Amino acid sequence: MSGPLALTVGIFAVMLILMAIRTPIAVAMFVAGTAGYIVQAGWLPLANFLNAQAFARFASYDLSVIPLFILMGNFATQGGISRSLFEFASAVMSRFRGGLAMGAVLACAAFGAICGSSVATAATITQVALPEMRRHGYSGRLATGTLAAGGTLGILIPPSVPLVIYAILAEQNIAKLFAAAMVPGIIAMLGYMIAIAIYVRLVPGHAPDHDDAPKVTLKLLSGIGPIAIIFTLVFGGIYGGYFTPTEGAAVGAASTFIAALLKREINWKKFKHCFYATAESSAMIFLIFLGADLMNAALALTQVPAQLAGTVAGWGLSPVMVVAAILLFYVVLGAVMDELSMILLTIPIFFPMVIGLDFGMPKESVAIWFGIMVLMTVGFGLLAPPVGLNVYIVNGMARDVPIAESYRGVMPFLISDTIRTIVLLLFPPISLWLVQFLK
Amino acid sequence: MKILEFLAKLCAIAAGVLLTGITLMTCVSVIGRNTIGRTIVGDFELTGAAAGAAIALFLPWCQMRRGNIIVDFFTAKASERTNAWLDRFGALLFALALALMSWRTMIGGLNAWKSQSGTMMIGFPEWIIYTAMVPPLVLCVAIGLAQALRGFSRQVHE
Repeated sequence: MSGPLALTVGIFAVMLILMAIRTPIAVAMFVAGTAGYIVQAGWLPLANFLNAQAFARFASYDLSVIPLFILMGNFATQGGISRSLFEFASAVMSRFRGGLAMGAVLACAAFGAICGSSVATAATITQVALPEMRRHGYSGRLATGTLAAGGTLGILIPPSVPLVIYAILAEQNIAKLFAAAMVPGIIAMLGYMIAIAIYVRLVPGHAPDHDDAPKVTLKLLSGIGPIAIIFTLVFGGIYGGYFTPTEGAAVGAASTFIAALLKREINWKKFKHCFYATAESSAMIFLIFLGADLMNAALALTQVPAQLAGTVAGWGLSPVMVVAAILLFYVVLGAVMDELSMILLTIPIFFPMVIGLDFGMPKESVAIWFGIMVLMTVGFGLLAPPVGLNVYIVNGMARDVPIAESYRGVMPFLISDTIRTIVLLLFPPISLWLVQFLK
Repeated sequence: MKILEFLAKLCAIAAGVLLTGITLMTCVSVIGRNTIGRTIVGDFELTGAAAGAAIALFLPWCQMRRGNIIVDFFTAKASERTNAWLDRFGALLFALALALMSWRTMIGGLNAWKSQSGTMMIGFPEWIIYTAMVPPLVLCVAIGLAQALRGFSRQVHE
């Protein structure tokens, strides 16, 4: 093995070993990156690099969209809009068998339209939907599986924190990526509903034959009012050219806060909780950013990533096969690793590789489509065993359901995910359709 | 530990208020721009600056709550004792990494002070942002060290 390659392997080995022994992922990256940087360039260049690094990463206008969207999601979570939302959604779907589960999926999708986090979406809708589903005789397996899967709609439907991170790493337009995610997000929602419909027919005993849910009334319809208004305001503003995505996030956070105030749901205690929750999620993400910066700087010094792009392009593989291989790699790595860290670590390596391939589309289209594909695997990783974060969150809120039951419950949704991902992989125009309408 | 927890909470709340302040300022700016055609000068830069301080201020609380995500897949079968020791080692590495960041950010702040560098539009002094970032970074070091020395037996609640 040549020097740079051995060094690259060494850097990764240090990082992976530290990760395996429970070092926070961000710190594992930071330590491995620091060591790799010093070995190659010495201490002084590293010191100079670090002087402004925290400042450059944290005090960035482009990145400030992340804490703002997280704050917006937390205001929405605490704002008490989820209950009326779920009541409306389950009334809409009540005519179908398994309607309450489908209603939960619909509620997750609607909530996902103002929340960019899958965990927040899963937790928020679970709070209101899980007791209802159990009361109506849905099995723990189906109920928790549905809610864990529905939670991923929080990131599949824009706004989406992972998509923002991808946009920043790949230097792509956030608004265009959000637009691209819209159709696949709706397909995901419909796919989950179909999965429920098939499941309750194939495997009896997990859902009642009929839900005695109320009919759709004007009063119930008003339940989705706040979300519809906020969504229209934020995305209408972004796509109407009235403001940037960061401003959209700020307007969204402010209007969600006002909606919560009007519902008289928010008090100082909940307000503080919003701050704490925003602190935890944002700090976690930005520390990973910092760690990944160090890793990527060290890897860039080895020049292996740059050569890798050339090497792969030289193999003459079918471009779609390369992307499929990357996605498969993500699914395997995502089984044990946090998805955000995975994106931050690998996009700087994989993105130039993918962009260097000839898909017969403009580079920008490739970048957008690849972003959607990466997002799909993130959603998959949140559900798939052995470590599906969403499954943990939902299962933790359902005390009487064993975790193995919840993992059985997500299986139909994982099949739905797989089918959708393959379709989107083979037909990029689905992801690019809405983007063409943007200037 | 109690004082560290208090400080971490204080930082998180301060950052939350700062972030909420940004949202309000942005709303005013957006409404101004789209109605009377006037906007707050340098709003982008103030947003970036405030976000920078807010993110740094968020870090201590995240570490306090053990919010920095780990991979527990490979140690799931290890004993609780082993995992507790590994977590303390992790906290120590966190403290060391953040100590390096605190130190270098301090140097970066001094450089910004000496060169009097500011943001592009309104010349907002960068050293102010650096100055806001260093104390929470140092607090992270203290929290990491305390966790490494004492372990995680104490529960941290909001």
